[in-house]
Amino acid sequence: MDSEDEMNYDEEEEDSQEEDSNDEDFVDIAMEPEPSTASDSRETEDFQYEVLTADKIVHVMVECIKEVNAVVQIPATITRILLNHFRWDKEKLMERYYDGDQDSLFSEAHVVSPYRKDPRQKRSTRGSTSASTSESMCEICCLVIPHTDMAGLECGHKFCFQCWTDYLTSKIINEGMGQTISCAAYGCDILVDDVTVMDLIKDAKVRLKYQHLITNSFVECNRLLRWCPAPDCGHVIKVKHYDVKPVRCTCGHTFCFACGENWHDPVKCIWLKRWIKKCDDDSETSNWIAANTKECPKCHVIIEKDGGCNHMVCKNQNCKADFCWVCLGPWEPHGSSWYNCNKFDEDEAKKARDSQEKSRCQLQRYLFYCNRYMNHMQSLKFENKLYQAVKLKMEEMQQHSMSWIEVQFLKVAVDVLCSCRQTLMYTYVFAFYLSKNNQSIIFEDNQKDLEHATEQLSEYLERDITSELLVDIKQKVQDKYRYCESRRKVLLDHVHEGYERDTWDYQDGL
Amino acid sequence: MANIAEARIRREFKEVVKSEEVAKCHIKVELVNDNYTELRGEIIGPPDTAYDGGKFILEIKIPDTYPFNPPKVKFATKIWHPNISSVTGAICLDILKDQWAAAMTLRTVLLSLQALLATAEPNDPQDAVVAKQYKENQAIFLQTARHWTNVYAGGPHREQVLEQKVEQVKNMGFEEHRARVALSSANWDPERATESLLNS
Repeated sequence: MDSEDEMNYDEEEEDSQEEDSNDEDFVDIAMEPEPSTASDSRETEDFQYEVLTADKIVHVMVECIKEVNAVVQIPATITRILLNHFRWDKEKLMERYYDGDQDSLFSEAHVVSPYRKDPRQKRSTRGSTSASTSESMCEICCLVIPHTDMAGLECGHKFCFQCWTDYLTSKIINEGMGQTISCAAYGCDILVDDVTVMDLIKDAKVRLKYQHLITNSFVECNRLLRWCPAPDCGHVIKVKHYDVKPVRCTCGHTFCFACGENWHDPVKCIWLKRWIKKCDDDSETSNWIAANTKECPKCHVIIEKDGGCNHMVCKNQNCKADFCWVCLGPWEPHGSSWYNCNKFDEDEAKKARDSQEKSRCQLQRYLFYCNRYMNHMQSLKFENKLYQAVKLKMEEMQQHSMSWIEVQFLKVAVDVLCSCRQTLMYTYVFAFYLSKNNQSIIFEDNQKDLEHATEQLSEYLERDITSELLVDIKQKVQDKYRYCESRRKVLLDHVHEGYERDTWDYQDGL
Repeated sequence: MANIAEARIRREFKEVVKSEEVAKCHIKVELVNDNYTELRGEIIGPPDTAYDGGKFILEIKIPDTYPFNPPKVKFATKIWHPNISSVTGAICLDILKDQWAAAMTLRTVLLSLQALLATAEPNDPQDAVVAKQYKENQAIFLQTARHWTNVYAGGPHREQVLEQKVEQVKNMGFEEHRARVALSSANWDPERATESLLNS
């Protein structure tokens, strides 16, 4: 490896004919893939995927380049840049490559066409052009450097090794650029390929960062790859075909391949995304608004009451409405002698309250779904504590003449409980965006049923487990979790069926 | 890195000093301190522009990462130009930001700035007030720029009407520079200028 690294640049240029055959080696050297440690093939139903380590990803990347190179015979470094330009879509690259103006393709991707034989670039740095001088000034450090210590890309701009190293280091470390670093000359947009970077950079830290950047851009660009979103997990999921499916990483995290969020069946990715944004944006604010304010019955500006008197004068200068805080009706009929509102039945006050109600309705609706969603999320967090409690219980039961296999039902019960909670949590997101129709009523019934059963199961596991006879519990818990599981399946199947038949109506503009 | 920066600046310094633009007195650089981190640049306003004959001083700071990052440059001389802040002297120029390339030098920077004085980019403004005037009232803009060049950069072309107006507002008890800024921003309408001065 090292002997290759030290290979001189000039020789590389002179050997460009042979380079093609060496390309595969170059890529391998450049990316330094370590022997792969783990790659699991997994399947759920008919959805196939693999969990890859970061090193394995490099192999995938190299494979991809080889595959293209087998067809278009150009240096691997150029293939890599072209592939990156097409977001690693092999078909698209091939199509453009054979189907159009290759020169414009190369210039679009910011590489010099390997077919262009411009004498300017072929000038040997060994001093054949100007026999008198074997050194020239590096335009970055302005020092006079022997040609043997200078390097450049196909564009012909040459700088000394030290300046290249500093330039690349600054781009990689400070600006986080990987595949998109261009030549250091002013106005030159030719990209620096990975082999050149690896040849010039010797610092292990910078090399590693560069590899990370390149791998990351490969994964981010590729539709069939996704980083596991769990903290500090460096694995990548590779799927056979893109689909909205749950995937489980070797670190144990299960998530939606399409959007990277926790697996969120039955709600779809786009609605979940909107929901999360909505929650992040305004859940706290709307909670506070709901608890502490009312709206002016005339101009609907939101008002916080900051004094004791019920006679409100709207501070909106264009409105200045006088109204009663209690009934929201106009203040006038209240007269000046009362501090108190007994005008409950009056029409006008009622109208004002109605309109207020309407404008609050949306907020109430959101809070309704939000609270339930949050509630299940919170409970789900607590259920993780339950695993601990259940483990103790299982040990205790084993001492009471039950076998290991006989007590496993408890763990299964907690598993079911968690998956039900997760499903329920997302049903509220689904329901929030749903318009009422016959199917939605069935859905709500299913939801109610599952929720009821889930809460019962939760109660069994949390309380009854300590009090009742073990044998009784076993029967009760097993029945309940089977019921929960079947209700969960019914609910999900119903939603999926609705997706297929297009029976769900959505409320827009929420 | 700092070593490269210093070595580079030493070289560039010589390059600028030796260059033919210096011989024609168009650009100049001087050291401010001994370690080459701060420099003072000077450019002469290009002929046939509102800045003709003015001498504009530039503050140049060289970062440690030079030449891989651009030098920090701003005008120390007050100037009326769409791409230069009339308040701080900050410059909006692509090569001082993302279009910087390691092979560029102080000389190219100074020449680019000189070119910027000749061709403003009002659609990518640093100073919105100036840019608006440039686009909507080119004649007044040219007068104003010439007046500022005369007052702050020692340019030879006096704008006597404008001087009188500044004097007039100054006599109302306002500081001269503030009066000039207010008048310039108000397209030399004394009433609007005093109003804005009173309200600020």
